Amino acid sequence: MNPRIGELVFLEQLAHRYKLPVPEFLAEPVSQSLLKEKLEKWGSGIIKPDVLTGKRGKAGSILKVGKVLDALKAMREVAAASINGLQPRSAYIVQCVPADYEIYTSISYNSHTLSPAFTVSLKGGMDVEAISDKDKVTVPLNVFQGLNAYQASEALNKLGLTGKLNSRLSLAFVNLWDMFISTGMLSCEINPWRVTKAGQVFACDFKATFDENNFKTKDLGLKWPEYPTTESDFEAEMKAWAASSHQGQAHVSSLGGKRILPLLFGGGAGTIITETLTMLGGDPIFLSDFGGNPPYERMKKTAAICFDHHLHKCELLLILGGKANNTLIDLTFAAIADALQECVDAKGPVDIPVIIGRGGAHLVQGFEVMKKTLDNLHLPYVIFGPDTPITLVADYAASVLKRRKKQAQGGRV
Amino acid sequence: MNAATLSGLLKKGDRVAVSNITGREAEKVSVISQLYCDNIVGGWALAKGGQTIPVAGGKDIRVFNDFEALMKALPEKERPNKVIVYSPPDAVYGDVKEVIQHGRGAVETVYVITEHVAVEVTAKLKHLCDDANMDIVGCNTLGVMNARDKVRIGAVGGDAPAESFIPGGATIISNSGNMVNTIASYLQSAGLGIAYGIATGKDPLILTPLKELLALAGKDRGTKLIVLYIEPGGTYERDALQYLKTHRFTKPLLVYVSGAFAEGKNISLGHAGAVVDGACTSSTDKMRLFDDYFGIPPFDPGDEKSARRKIARSKRGIRVATLHGLVPAARVLMEALSIAQDFKPLRPLALNPWLVELGPLARRLPKELALKPGTIPSPYKELMLSQLKAELGRSVARQSMRGASHASSNDGVTPRIYGYSLPALMSRCSFSRAVLLAWLGAPPAHDFEVELFEMCLTASITNGPGTISAQAAKLSASAGNEPNTALMATLGAIGLVHGGNGKEAARFLVKLFKGTGLTDPYDRKKAPDLDKLVGGYVSDYKRRKEASKVAGGSVEKIPCLGHPVFNKDAVNYDPRERVVNKYLEDNRRYNVFLDFYHRLTRELTARGVTGKSHAVNVDAALTCVCLGIAWPLLVSRQIALERVYNLPFLTFALGRVAGGGAEYLDHHEYGTDMDMRTPNGECRFLTRPKD
Repeated sequence: MNPRIGELVFLEQLAHRYKLPVPEFLAEPVSQSLLKEKLEKWGSGIIKPDVLTGKRGKAGSILKVGKVLDALKAMREVAAASINGLQPRSAYIVQCVPADYEIYTSISYNSHTLSPAFTVSLKGGMDVEAISDKDKVTVPLNVFQGLNAYQASEALNKLGLTGKLNSRLSLAFVNLWDMFISTGMLSCEINPWRVTKAGQVFACDFKATFDENNFKTKDLGLKWPEYPTTESDFEAEMKAWAASSHQGQAHVSSLGGKRILPLLFGGGAGTIITETLTMLGGDPIFLSDFGGNPPYERMKKTAAICFDHHLHKCELLLILGGKANNTLIDLTFAAIADALQECVDAKGPVDIPVIIGRGGAHLVQGFEVMKKTLDNLHLPYVIFGPDTPITLVADYAASVLKRRKKQAQGGRV
Repeated sequence: MNAATLSGLLKKGDRVAVSNITGREAEKVSVISQLYCDNIVGGWALAKGGQTIPVAGGKDIRVFNDFEALMKALPEKERPNKVIVYSPPDAVYGDVKEVIQHGRGAVETVYVITEHVAVEVTAKLKHLCDDANMDIVGCNTLGVMNARDKVRIGAVGGDAPAESFIPGGATIISNSGNMVNTIASYLQSAGLGIAYGIATGKDPLILTPLKELLALAGKDRGTKLIVLYIEPGGTYERDALQYLKTHRFTKPLLVYVSGAFAEGKNISLGHAGAVVDGACTSSTDKMRLFDDYFGIPPFDPGDEKSARRKIARSKRGIRVATLHGLVPAARVLMEALSIAQDFKPLRPLALNPWLVELGPLARRLPKELALKPGTIPSPYKELMLSQLKAELGRSVARQSMRGASHASSNDGVTPRIYGYSLPALMSRCSFSRAVLLAWLGAPPAHDFEVELFEMCLTASITNGPGTISAQAAKLSASAGNEPNTALMATLGAIGLVHGGNGKEAARFLVKLFKGTGLTDPYDRKKAPDLDKLVGGYVSDYKRRKEASKVAGGSVEKIPCLGHPVFNKDAVNYDPRERVVNKYLEDNRRYNVFLDFYHRLTRELTARGVTGKSHAVNVDAALTCVCLGIAWPLLVSRQIALERVYNLPFLTFALGRVAGGGAEYLDHHEYGTDMDMRTPNGECRFLTRPKD
């Protein structure tokens, strides 16, 4: 999972490293006396929640305060209020910066130019999607050379911003690039930069995503914030397990479903099958991708975690993938079958249908080992080969599930 | 892109070099590729130079320390023009730089298979390759298949590329490697073969954008239609469609876009680049872009007529809403645009279950869901049959068994064996029946099995005081041991040669009978053709014996034939085996394994493999009885093979330990202390004094 940060971590740990001008701020725990001193200096402050979601203002979580008691109360309230279902890590207060200009900037890798690209607009404070093309300039960057002051200045010139402010902002933008490239970021956005009447520039909101595959991110020495999460024990365990090795995939993303336990193979197949199940009311517990030719031990532990958390609660086990290019079916199925047997041995029998569809190397041996285990466990099953499309198998699984639900409700079958 | 045509990406005659070729995946894939299309000229891996990767039935692959060494070692006409990178993520940058440095002017395309390459590195690779006039595909591509030329690079097509990729007129461009293979096999149901299969990868940056691939496909004369599998993330489709519109693209597209269900939810899809990150990057946006380009709504399988008419009018193709919709849509599109099938559709696209066991659930499901086994296509059918026939017994998952037992239990009130109350067993069944229950986990199926088993126990009690196991009991008594030690001595003196040969016999019989389809060992009518089985085995044994004789070696001994005592006659019998055989005859029972043994010893004599008919000994009889009892449980996979192998040995040991007890009691009563000691004068000392 690519790490993400918001404004507070930027203010605390990154801005000063790269000489990016930011407003003063205070983060919890805040003493009343210090807060009073700052508010007297600033005139007023802005309370913000430290949470990884946009539209905090629209959610009513960004509050302007002038008095200490109001500020303390607001910080408590803002920290406690969830936004878009996410609980803030804390609240913080930043110096209120009166501005003439609000400027938008971002740097990210661009799928059109296949390089990093810098985007700037004088219509800051708005969602970038809402800014018209004529009001923003995107500069494709040479990944080795990055953004230089001349390029930044040219972009501002195109938008009609010249003079001293152009120069001051251009230098800040170069520092922004330095931060982007030397920390292994995938994208970063400052929206807005606020420019005072006196021509001072402040980076006033920030978000960034780092590339977990980039060694710079790994070696950054940044104290990654722990944001409150709604992640289940299962997701946390799978995430840690997935991160422990690159041999084979162990990717899951929770869907909130309860009924189908889907062990799926392939990034594309996993997406397509999950989509089909979701459309047809299959209620899958999660989206998964366990392809990439995992070794036996890797596959077995992956399956064991899934079974440990969900086998005795789900209503149907679906093991489904397309026609594998790399993944050995006998090996992966033996691992799943062994994990299944062990889970049943440890936690007791289950009575759920098992629907399987797969293709690839050593398929017959894989089906055989799976059949043996399912026979041992007296589980009903249907096994499809690669000649049946995965979406039809998913459709069949969802239909069987619907019938079982009707039966459970005493309906006519 | 430097390639001017799709064949510029890969064609017959291209020479491929593989980085990190000794890696787990690279080596496996390279061997299959070499067998399929013989296009790998070498590979490199750090400190592995000088090795060779053997390719059985193909050309072995040489391994070099680095790419430079590979380029220097190969003559110019054999130097690679394609490179495939399987290096670990952190080594990809360095390896591609090395390819650029030493392959400039020779290498045309670099395929990066590696996953988890940093996006910054990916962007740098693109920059470097552009400067060097090389094309780069990936990262995280699965490779490319040129089905017309029957060549591939990477793992496209898995271990049987020819199975999915029948040459034809469709070019597949897919964000998923698996979908290239999967869609290629589905299209066979529409009578559509494949020109090219291209896995672009779906990292955040796709270095061969769709626009450029479509431009090449548009120029490819063999491509009649293009099938796209698209995921969210990136503006590749927007860029591609702008290109198609401005360049009057004439080839029809069939498009499937996945991932719409995840929009607005915090769901991460399987591929790193499948992330919505702005306008025109979501699945819904991409669907809309394609629908706008086609000018017609997505394919409705319920209204093919309308779809046919609309496609004929727009000529641009159509989007499908489901993956399996690709097949009817392809058929309709080909009809609408008069595109000929490449071959007769191979099979209908429908639910075709290979293996079904729904049990009681079948009765509760409606007819359309209570599926029956369908037709397994070749070659899977033949493989499946031989596999199913050959497999016997339950597979068991191992676990820590400390303090745990399937066999015994005691709830504080009732001791049980496999769930059966011991007090109840004590009052209603014999010891032999209880032992069978304890060893098989289920009561014996027939009363006569208990009687035969009891005979086997009795037969094992003794074969005279000269047997090693009896000697052991006597030695122990002579040394003044307690009875338990004497019994241990008896057990310690039996092994695979004395008493335990039944274990070997069980393996021998299982190996011969497991592929015969035998289900009931007591039914003579359903027995396999024993003459054929015996004849085949003896022929093979004779051939091996003669060959070994010439070579001065020996073949394995057939287990449980012959006996050191019962060996005097032309045709020999073990009297204990005779009792078992007589019981069977008297009670009109049949045991296929014992019948086999009798035929085997006769055939060995008749064919001159042995000079006389060896006795089918008591261990064989024990084995045949035990295997008769256990075989149905093996076939129904209620017990594991290893348990069955141990049954004859256990039977012998149980009987013989009783005999050991008899020897102990006798010797203890009548013997004198130390009387088993061999007098010094009867001993031979085979080493001279050396001091």
